[in-house]
Amino acid sequence: MTHLVRLVRGIAVLLVVTALTFAIFYLGPADPALSMCGKPCSPENLEAARAFMGFADPWWQQLWTFLTSIFTGRSFGSESVAIECAAPCLGYSFQMHQSVTSLIVERFPVSFAVALGAIVLQTIVGVALGSLAARRQGSLIDRAITGGAVIAASAPSYVVGLLLLLAFAFSFDLLPTGGYVPFADDPLDWFLHLLLPWITLAVLNGAVYARLVRSSMIEQLGLDYVRTARAAGLGERRIDRYALRNLALPVTTLTALDVGALLGGTVITERVFGLPGMGQLLLDATGTIDLPIIVGATLFSALLVILANLAADLAGPLLDRRLATTKKSLRPTRQKVNTP
Amino acid sequence: MIRSRTRRLVIAPAILAVGAIAFTACSASDSGSEEGSADATGGTLTIYTAAEEVSFDPASSQNLAITTLGLNARRLTAWSTDPNAPTEVVPDLATDTGTASDDGKTWTFTLKDGLTFEDGTPITSEAIKFGLERSFAPELSGGLTYHKLLLEGGEDYTGPFDGEHLDSIETPDDQTIVFHLNRPYGDFSWVASTPAFAPVPLESGDPETYAQDPVASGPYAVESYQAGNQVVLTRNEEWDPETDEARTGGPDEIVFKLAQDASVVAQSLIADRSDAQDAFLAGFVPPAQLVQAQNDPNVGDRLVTSGPGALEYLAINTESPQLEDVRVRQALQYAVDKTAYLTAKGGEISGDIATTLITPGIEGREEFNLYAEDPAGDVDEAKRLLDEAGASDLDLRLVVTEDNVAAAEAIQQSLARVDISVTIQPLDNAAWSAEVAAGDGSAYDLTLSSWQPDIPSPNANLTPLFDSSQIGGGNYNLARYSNPEVDEALLAASSELDADAAAEQWTAIDRTILEDSPVVPLIYSRNSFLHGSGVTNFEIGEFPSYPNYLKVTLGE
Repeated sequence: MTHLVRLVRGIAVLLVVTALTFAIFYLGPADPALSMCGKPCSPENLEAARAFMGFADPWWQQLWTFLTSIFTGRSFGSESVAIECAAPCLGYSFQMHQSVTSLIVERFPVSFAVALGAIVLQTIVGVALGSLAARRQGSLIDRAITGGAVIAASAPSYVVGLLLLLAFAFSFDLLPTGGYVPFADDPLDWFLHLLLPWITLAVLNGAVYARLVRSSMIEQLGLDYVRTARAAGLGERRIDRYALRNLALPVTTLTALDVGALLGGTVITERVFGLPGMGQLLLDATGTIDLPIIVGATLFSALLVILANLAADLAGPLLDRRLATTKKSLRPTRQKVNTP
Repeated sequence: MIRSRTRRLVIAPAILAVGAIAFTACSASDSGSEEGSADATGGTLTIYTAAEEVSFDPASSQNLAITTLGLNARRLTAWSTDPNAPTEVVPDLATDTGTASDDGKTWTFTLKDGLTFEDGTPITSEAIKFGLERSFAPELSGGLTYHKLLLEGGEDYTGPFDGEHLDSIETPDDQTIVFHLNRPYGDFSWVASTPAFAPVPLESGDPETYAQDPVASGPYAVESYQAGNQVVLTRNEEWDPETDEARTGGPDEIVFKLAQDASVVAQSLIADRSDAQDAFLAGFVPPAQLVQAQNDPNVGDRLVTSGPGALEYLAINTESPQLEDVRVRQALQYAVDKTAYLTAKGGEISGDIATTLITPGIEGREEFNLYAEDPAGDVDEAKRLLDEAGASDLDLRLVVTEDNVAAAEAIQQSLARVDISVTIQPLDNAAWSAEVAAGDGSAYDLTLSSWQPDIPSPNANLTPLFDSSQIGGGNYNLARYSNPEVDEALLAASSELDADAAAEQWTAIDRTILEDSPVVPLIYSRNSFLHGSGVTNFEIGEFPSYPNYLKVTLGE
């Protein structure tokens, strides 16, 4: 039942996002047909371009066509040379000569690769530094970590990206300055091209994790069960394990949000490192008023965020059985503090 | 195509934004680069671009004849550029630059012998006709359309994909092609160098795929195409350099690296990194790196700045009630401080002061100045004209794109000297296009824009900006200037077949228009480019202000 509610809510959110994106861009002053009119632009050409691109209809009709064509596909133009956009059709970019769906299929693996590495790196770095700081609360290390985290979290990504480029690419010539090599072409080159973007994102997001882990960890270490465990003579390493396990939920929630956002594309990082991902696609489309891409990519990104949140919701009961609503939890039913 | 950064590679630069370059500096260097044998061959040239894709479909392309598309597709005619001489039209696939009938309405071209596509099939007049017909199809709109307005019957034609053909293009045999125009046209040799005049084999040309998978007639064929990542061009072995005076076909391979950050690439080029030595940046050098490059002795002549090119101007909305009186508009000519504008644009390296509408580097241009001798303006004369017109309390809306705000402030301050108050309204590019270029003219009194002609003819300077048919609808007569006499003169001059007679007429029109003062010419902008140490023959002709890709080589 609750799953059904979640599903309906998710779909409603997607519909609202789509309608809003439509409203913002389609009702705005920009005329996407202008870019397809040619130069000089005669009124007949403009009219033809508008009709051909499907922008001549009223906006609600365009919205309806957009929504239905996700399931049925659509075609643009005359019978003789219609441009086909097969389902799931998220629109067709006349500037890129490609359907938005195929553009997303092309770009998503890049954003996926960026996101995957960044998530792994930032979680490891964040949890390690955060728990270290919590353990040494008030020490020099703690201050260094919390201070560094504030700076890192507030630094704009282009600054971090450019600094890293300056250090590793320009000064030492160790790593490439940008571009993307598919994994299948050359795994090592793939890795080298992604290393700096990963580090950039890990620095920025890892700082947030470090702060979260530090404060939650300090809270956990002050709780009764830790005192009891300690009194019972448990080793500090073991205590850390218990405390960290209780951090799994907040960290997972944060990670889920980040996964959604990162998969949807990291605009600045992709731009700085010349990575052809979702963020780059969306950024360029905004610059060139490529409305089909803007709407299609926004919808897709929204879908990712919703799915990621759903995944976090579903994972919650697995990580903390107090959240489980059914008796059939996958975790052991007894949560016991081991006695020596 | 407004404000440079389109996704399309270089950038049919009709209106191009010369990014605000934030400093003043020493005089621009020559627009040539180091010497090198013109016919050096071999190597892989890398071209970095911020563009996400490069389209190789000639029908929908606005490329200049000397950039990307020219590497792959030849046309009937081509351009010969030189840093120290006006650009000339030269034969490309054709044996000459075309022969006009006495009335100037029929143009005939003959193809050279033995020309073939990359697959070895002959390039015929039919293929050129097909290429042109494709450009009429609505699914392939977006390119340069000069020929579409000239070819008889073009207004009702919607492309060859329904089996319909355009009768005003005749192909009596495989090597002859005849164009029937709806009026005499002196610049048709130039029009024949625009992208749509490239041959497309009859059995190819699918509008959905041709942009990424074209059939080469030029020195390079598309080997692989990954949108957003890279395009690899390799040598087309069927191309015969003996038949081509516009291209040298130097590098064995040319790789376009797409979606690159201009600042990062510029840094790589300045540092002359190993992966940037045989490379150049297609876009302008960003302001910060331009300062850096000028001050770095290791860069030297790897920074190449064009001569004065595109006209940047202040358009005066002649339909605005406050600006209907010609004396008020003339007062603006005296009131504007062009020196301040140039400073806001980055100083000397960004351009030269402009006084005419026809831009430098165009054959037959005559330099003159109808208004203040001092580029800083003549405040007294401006006030006198305003008094004479009885104009007071002028309050004008200056609508500009966001990258032009600093320049707009320079205009605002100079007009304040004569008590004209100016409200600056910055818009993003799309909104500016919609409000100013495509609007009904009620949204602005003044606007800033820039124009580089698509072909080096005064016609391409004047008609798009001042013919009354070019008002609104996404066109570029931003002053909404409508003068029947000028319309008639533009028509007459563009119909003139004799080049000298035409040049005289164009200069006269330039003067007539400036007397009416629909725009204030501000500067002729200069563009700066960077290349690596392995690149030779990286030259910018007098027109256009872009490097000639077709002659770039690697090594000595």
